[in-house]
Amino acid sequence: MAVRFTDNQIQEMLTEIKILPNDWKQSLSLKPKKLGHDESQLDIVGEKGNNFRIKMRLSQFDPLSFSVILCFCLKETNFLFRLCRYNGKHQHTNTIEKQTFFEFHIHYATQRYQGLGVKEDFYAEPSNKYSDIYSALDCLLSDCFFISENDAQLDLFQPGGKK
Amino acid sequence: MIPGMVEKAFKKSVCENIRLHGEGNSRFRVFTPFRFDDGDHLSIILKNSKGKWMLSDEGNTFMHLTYDLDEKDLLKGTRNEIIESALASYSVSNKEGELILGIEDEHYGDALYSYIQALMRISNVTFLSRERARSTFIEDFRAFIIEKVPENRRTFDWYDTSHDPEGIYPVDCKINGMPRPLFIFALPGDDKTRDATINIYKYEQWNLKYRVLGIFENQEEVNRKVLARFSDVCEKQFSALNTNKDRLQKYFSDAMSGG
Repeated sequence: MAVRFTDNQIQEMLTEIKILPNDWKQSLSLKPKKLGHDESQLDIVGEKGNNFRIKMRLSQFDPLSFSVILCFCLKETNFLFRLCRYNGKHQHTNTIEKQTFFEFHIHYATQRYQGLGVKEDFYAEPSNKYSDIYSALDCLLSDCFFISENDAQLDLFQPGGKK
Repeated sequence: MIPGMVEKAFKKSVCENIRLHGEGNSRFRVFTPFRFDDGDHLSIILKNSKGKWMLSDEGNTFMHLTYDLDEKDLLKGTRNEIIESALASYSVSNKEGELILGIEDEHYGDALYSYIQALMRISNVTFLSRERARSTFIEDFRAFIIEKVPENRRTFDWYDTSHDPEGIYPVDCKINGMPRPLFIFALPGDDKTRDATINIYKYEQWNLKYRVLGIFENQEEVNRKVLARFSDVCEKQFSALNTNKDRLQKYFSDAMSGG
């Protein structure tokens, strides 16, 4: 089954509050793989019950070659939809916009590129918000509404907090 | 436009899109117009090691593939065959994930063409799985049975060897140890439900002793007529696995204790 999402649905997924488990740093610590890079991943549940996954990839040859990816996990399937991807420094071209750059860049899932039949997160924008994989992860967590488990519990006791 | 001008235009366009950018001593990034299916360009480095020039992707190609695929999927099966074939075809070597092509006799252009072709062929392995969402219902069903039913009480893909030696009419799981064993069918859709109905009619003809349980992935999506025929021969049904796990556990427990 081909799975597509509209821009509104994508925005809802990106802005859903996502709760990081207490051991998230340990789960995301990079481990060396056989094919020339280190990787890690972490599964997270959003406050609406949706499942998400963070994937991290770092080249063993070039510290500027990395990727921090946020995926939406379609329930009861093996399908991962890439919502956004914080990439290292390499060349990228947006086909529709006819725009090429060689910078750190962030990929975003879009309805219009899904319509072209290419990867959902084909579109990318240059970014100077981060300079290595760890600062890229910080940006993703901040941009995509992640909170720690402790913060989520504290929120229960705040005026107007979730009961 | 006359052919000579077309040729000139081709050459201009191709040449303009390939350039080198210095990155330190004896190391250059090679910019080309060739891209993965997400708009990222192939990562190609021209570098000199021990007096020999070579092209390298510095592990980027395989890393890029693992955005979609598990590393183990690249190391076995059809994908691995495609990768190995591409490497052999273009004399590219895999050095612990770094794809390298040595440049012989200063044939830089030829080497670049071969290298690009190898990387493009390797990157195509993602198309083997692209945009396909596969239900995990059957795996979830099996995992649930394994968790809840002791190993000596269950047989997956059971069939009656005396009446059906070729296993044409199987049961997804048979729970034994009771006067009437429990035949469980995992039902992801219409086709499987039809097959299960036929199988149960066969068991009736063979006068087997059994009870039947049907577990649907989503009963609401099954065709009404198909469901009606199945209901005629099935003793107990659950409309979905994930929302009935507590009830199913109790049902298994009762069935195994002879209830």
